[in-house]
Amino acid sequence: MAEIWRLRGRRGWAAALFIAVGLGAALAQAGSTTQIFDPKTHKWINYDRKKARQYYAAHGQVPDAFRRQIVPFRTAEKPGTIIIDGNQHFLYLVLPGLKAVRYGIGVGREGFGWAGIVRVGRTAEWPTWTPPAEMVARDPNAAKYANGMPGGPDNPLGARALYLYQGDQDTIYRIHGTPEPWTIGLDVSSGCIRMNNDDIVDLHSQVQVGAKVVVLMQGAALYKGV
Amino acid sequence: MRTVYLAGAVLIVAPVLAACSTPAPDPQDMARTTTQTAPADLQLTCASAVATQASVDANKVLPVGSSQIDATKYQVELNAAGQRYNCVIDNAGVVGSVQKA
Repeated sequence: MAEIWRLRGRRGWAAALFIAVGLGAALAQAGSTTQIFDPKTHKWINYDRKKARQYYAAHGQVPDAFRRQIVPFRTAEKPGTIIIDGNQHFLYLVLPGLKAVRYGIGVGREGFGWAGIVRVGRTAEWPTWTPPAEMVARDPNAAKYANGMPGGPDNPLGARALYLYQGDQDTIYRIHGTPEPWTIGLDVSSGCIRMNNDDIVDLHSQVQVGAKVVVLMQGAALYKGV
Repeated sequence: MRTVYLAGAVLIVAPVLAACSTPAPDPQDMARTTTQTAPADLQLTCASAVATQASVDANKVLPVGSSQIDATKYQVELNAAGQRYNCVIDNAGVVGSVQKA
């Protein structure tokens, strides 16, 4: 941080402004908490990692709102487009007739949320997971798999992965399954969009390579494709 | 006679209690975040409106923030190829205004 104050002149102010905007974005996302409605008490309760795990253990599935369903969706985007509402933890697959399939998702934790307009560059079934170099550097668990973890039920990418590209470049972000389905509805990932395995299999079966993906995230730390 | 009084009491008290508690949303709406944003489809409707007004490729217009103005209206902030815009839209998807920020 001390280096910031050594910057002088116009470039220094620009750097300081950039950092301030980044901090503001991170704070905007940090203030967000998922809540679910408790039908017994008729109150909204905070839904954190612990509560989510308890709920999943008791019900064997995530709350109703995060389960796959068809909803009205007024948009000019063409069928097959994917819309991700990172703040509300929903992914929409646009259908004909102003409708969409809505799936529950888990998104990037504080400081890892991003927004943008990208496309599905490729897809894979039971993908190999290769952690990015930054993750290998900061996470000893990821370092074990620096050369790749084969696909399977314990693989963090789950049953399917859609690789998101900006133009012809891999963004390193994916929409993928997860061996931790209780994390749907939470801000938990390093920027990837996670879905339960049944849902990613369903989405994968309906999506074409090249499909447009719009990622909405108020307070995003990063923007792609715009 | 006592049953009649009891039924009457229930009829009077029940609506009062109901008024004090939060009405249950539909099952598909039983989750939310404390960051209140405009529904995704309304944000995209604003993006289309901005693309048209600014003559910008729709693939370069991204909603970057939104908030609820009142019970029926939302304000959506957008980035259109680097230029900021504000859009006001109602629950029915009717765009009220689009302005450069």
